[in-house]
Amino acid sequence: MLTKQTQRLFALLIGLVLALPVFAAQTEAPLPDTFAAHKVVLQISDKDPSKQNLVLNVAQNIQRYYGVENVDIEVVAFGPGVRLMLEGNENIKRMKSLMASGVRFSACDNTLQNFAKQLGHELKVSEGVTIVPAGAGRILQLNAAGWQILQP
Amino acid sequence: MQKNYTTVKKSALLIALAGALTAPTAQAANWLMLQGTEKPNEAPAAKLWGFAQIDYQQTDDTKLPTLTGGAAGLSGTSAAFNQMAPQLNTSSGFNIKRARIGVRGANFPLDKDVNYFLMAEFGNNGITTGGGTQGQLVDASVTINKIDGARVRVGLFKTPGSEESFKGIPVFNYVNFTNGTDRLLIEKSVDNSAAVAALPDGVPAGARQADTLYGERTAAAFAARDTGIQVFDTFKHNDWEYSYAVMYGNGNGLALTDNDKHKDLYLYGSAEKVFDNSDGPRRHSLKMYAWSQSGKRTVDNTAYKRDRAGVGMTYFDGKYRAAAEYFTADGMIWGGPVGGATNTPLSVFTDQTADAYQLDFGYRVKPNIELNVRYDVLNSATKKDANTGTAIDKKRVFTTTTLGAQYFFNKKTSARINYEIRDLTAPTALAGSNPTKVVDAIDNRLSAQVMMVF
Repeated sequence: MLTKQTQRLFALLIGLVLALPVFAAQTEAPLPDTFAAHKVVLQISDKDPSKQNLVLNVAQNIQRYYGVENVDIEVVAFGPGVRLMLEGNENIKRMKSLMASGVRFSACDNTLQNFAKQLGHELKVSEGVTIVPAGAGRILQLNAAGWQILQP
Repeated sequence: MQKNYTTVKKSALLIALAGALTAPTAQAANWLMLQGTEKPNEAPAAKLWGFAQIDYQQTDDTKLPTLTGGAAGLSGTSAAFNQMAPQLNTSSGFNIKRARIGVRGANFPLDKDVNYFLMAEFGNNGITTGGGTQGQLVDASVTINKIDGARVRVGLFKTPGSEESFKGIPVFNYVNFTNGTDRLLIEKSVDNSAAVAALPDGVPAGARQADTLYGERTAAAFAARDTGIQVFDTFKHNDWEYSYAVMYGNGNGLALTDNDKHKDLYLYGSAEKVFDNSDGPRRHSLKMYAWSQSGKRTVDNTAYKRDRAGVGMTYFDGKYRAAAEYFTADGMIWGGPVGGATNTPLSVFTDQTADAYQLDFGYRVKPNIELNVRYDVLNSATKKDANTGTAIDKKRVFTTTTLGAQYFFNKKTSARINYEIRDLTAPTALAGSNPTKVVDAIDNRLSAQVMMVF
């Protein structure tokens, strides 16, 4: 027979093991709730600044084409493309306008950490931008859940 | 670093609310900001850009009239103001006036707080002649945007000042500068270290004016630029942008380094109401500004004062354009070639005053066609001195009405044609003296230009 103390230790261990996936899941952004017929994830990873405008134009045009209620759009940035999401970027007005109509913006935490190492200080993303653990991972996660990938 | 995974709807609502409550940040949409900064987190590491202007100019080539005294030898020779600058060899012809190539951006794009600007001139103008070189460096600056409200720009760059000289040449609406800007603001240094008598058609003793340097150009025209440090920024409040700049520079133009211990101080302030959130060099706005420059120039070991100050306004709403400017000059002012001839020493008055003004209107008949009219007056050498009322009186009044039309092929390519109705008088010179005869030789001028930016 196990002593009461041993039983408690087992119970704690089992509890910890069961809780692990919960903690692990919290490090990943949840999938958005959407009933939209069309789901699109826009990738921006290019260092060319003109791509910043292009990706915002595409988001706007897709909304116009399908109708705001019928399409769910998430813009995911990683690599040099993360500059679109950084505080001070003058596209913030357009981004806010798109956010107000439901477009989400996600920035890659891996990239932000790498940039921080190069710069010697942490970078701030614009208000409303969500930080996801890995930009490429987020795109694959959304794709697996039915989002179509578009890289302008 | 923030990490939040709030739902879309909540964040959208919060952001919409935040957007409605917070004032937008200052943007790069005026000359200080357009030339001195880059868009944060958007600028490339290196953006290659430049522009070229191909001019055609023509006058009737009226020669200098019969002159008397020491200037008699200049009778019947070409009049400088009827020739094409800067060589003054012909009264008509084509000229690659400007051909500039440069690179700008954020050298380390991750750092939105640092940007740079480099540019060189390969065209044929005052910058590349008279001591300047083909490929003359005209801009080499770094801007540090680390301190809110006090950006710092160091190096060689355009000095904050008169709209006509400060604005980007690619959006200049005429072929030629006004007389005031050309003679008072586009500074040309003259070196008198060589004996005047050794120069072609040396100035006879009787024709030498008081407080005047005679000599040759030995350096590139200053091109409204200087090497130094500038603190500046723009603050936005609703539709208004308020800008300031304080610059401390060598006062030695494109020379890269100084030639004396005296420095120039440049001050600039503007208030601009921006229409429809427009931006860029031709944005729609109403701007009012004031500026001053003060310094000294050392020539042959003597320091001479050179001060300028002015006020002005610009307006453009997409269809109508208007601009007005007034400025004064005190100290050194340009005298031009002796006798108005093309092969005589150049003169600079060292203790004179002048004032100039211009009124400029534009009307877009169509989105790609603009009609222009500009009226400008320069009262040069207005201060009474030992020469006033004599046969070597310095005072001149330049009055020009310019009629023009511009055609915009696209945002980066345009053509313009100008007809300048020019008048010149020497109102206080001795009646019948040489100055009163020379001024009558000035012709009207026809000019055309094609400009492309890449």
